Amino acid sequence: MTDPGVLIHVENLRKTYGRTIAVDGLSFQARKGEILGILGPNGSGKTTTLKSILGLVSHDSGEILVNGLSVAKNRKRVLESAGAVLEGARNIYWYLSPRENLLYFAGIRGISARRATPMIEHLLRKLELWEVRNKEVRQFSSGMKQKVAMACAFVHDPEVLFLDEPTMGLDVEIALSMRNWIRSLVGEHGKTILVTSHDMGFIESLCDRVLIIRSGRIISDETLQSLKARFSEKTVEVVLEAPLTQAQTEAAEALGPCQTVCDDGSCRLRIRLHQPGSIMDLMDILRGGGSVVKDFSTSGNDLEDIFLQMIRREP
Amino acid sequence: MRMLTLAVAELRLMGWGLKRYFFNTGALVLVMYLVFLGMFWGVRAIAGGSVSGDSLDSMVVGYVLWLMAMMSIQATGGEVMNESQTGTLEQLYLSPLGADMIFLFRILNGILFNYIFVTIMLFLSMLTTGRMLTVDFPFFYGVLLLSILSLVGISFMLGGIGLIHKRIGSVYGILSFALIGMMLLPVYPFTGWALLPFVAGAHTVNSHTVHGTNFPAWWYILITANSLFYLAAGLMVFRVFERKAMRLNKMGQY
Repeated sequence: MTDPGVLIHVENLRKTYGRTIAVDGLSFQARKGEILGILGPNGSGKTTTLKSILGLVSHDSGEILVNGLSVAKNRKRVLESAGAVLEGARNIYWYLSPRENLLYFAGIRGISARRATPMIEHLLRKLELWEVRNKEVRQFSSGMKQKVAMACAFVHDPEVLFLDEPTMGLDVEIALSMRNWIRSLVGEHGKTILVTSHDMGFIESLCDRVLIIRSGRIISDETLQSLKARFSEKTVEVVLEAPLTQAQTEAAEALGPCQTVCDDGSCRLRIRLHQPGSIMDLMDILRGGGSVVKDFSTSGNDLEDIFLQMIRREP
Repeated sequence: MRMLTLAVAELRLMGWGLKRYFFNTGALVLVMYLVFLGMFWGVRAIAGGSVSGDSLDSMVVGYVLWLMAMMSIQATGGEVMNESQTGTLEQLYLSPLGADMIFLFRILNGILFNYIFVTIMLFLSMLTTGRMLTVDFPFFYGVLLLSILSLVGISFMLGGIGLIHKRIGSVYGILSFALIGMMLLPVYPFTGWALLPFVAGAHTVNSHTVHGTNFPAWWYILITANSLFYLAAGLMVFRVFERKAMRLNKMGQY
């Protein structure tokens, strides 16, 4: 790896469990200060990929470098600069308080209580846990517990944070506050975040770049912006006083698949435009044929639509 | 220095646990004392007045050694099981200082706690039997520590198995009975039984405390070598299972 801006470099990663291929030749990079989202259906290899980077799962072949260090050869050094909140695990001790958890997880990373205290206080305040810092975690809501887990993963000020389904089971308010905190880690501290989630809205509002994985393979690796541009189809719904003429229908179909349903003296035309700029062409077709437009609405693709289209489209 | 920080973190964790589960700790002392009372009254009922003072002394020391052995053997395996259950095992494996070091410090802290626990049990047992032994504590704790390391090795082996199979509680049930039998085996003058873990050390502590027996230097070398062998073997087995658990992605599953 020659580019100093690259923090995580994964090349040709492969992992099998018996005959099941979990990860099949995955290659990608994450740059410093980037938030990389990993999307994929259940069993697509997201968690195995994250755990392989952390060395919690040993991979069959391929190379993983974090900060230029091979995970296979220098796992302990790699862990100095990594923190993680893993899906399906508590990650923290429920019988301890947030403060105790933070002290403990700093301690097992070789950071003394005295050295960790400023960071612990900062995290407790930043994640709105200060008032409950001495209460047992078991009394907390899922969201609060997740906040404590996040704080513990960050207590040693790692360069990269791995978040596996961080918003699972959380309410909107807590998910929002987590998103803001993660954004501040990148914006203010230049950290790198790798995040998997089923919450498309969360990924869409957080990530700079998205990897879409299916059956252990990457089917898309691009910025959210370019992904959206690539899937820029717009759906337009127009309410008309009368049905389209044959010529209008043929012209509209050239812009994209369309469907007209008429009832109670009005017709509803629904068309999925291949090009967003075709709206003007559609309006010309309607005006040229003398149609009276009673209502008009458009809807674009959000990440969820794009994700579903990609998952269904790829062989 | 970082290892010292880790040791302090583990000591603190043990302290928080004891504080949170104070009732459980107290109940453990009580139950173990009641078990001893049951044994003591059982022996008195069966043997009547013919039970000798030395036998009672042996029983007291033997019981305390057995307790120490049981608690030590459960150390790593129990920790792995607990951490798996609570869903924190993978976080320990994210420590740059190594999960094996975390478990090692937990065991050492556990031995410290067990020393306090068995000392309380020893005095309670002596008070119950009315036989006040003159315990040479430096010798008692020293030889116990030397020999208990062999069981720490066994505990690491069980911990490794626990990483893959998770529930290994029934193994402890079998081992608790096996240990009682093992501690009754004749080992001195040297027999092959002395090569089993902990047996030679337990015999030494018991004989010295009850009868004042002294042993030659080579005997202590044997106990040390025995412990180091089982400890090294235990760590090796633990590493093998650890690698297997990482290969099968079993670390975070319970």
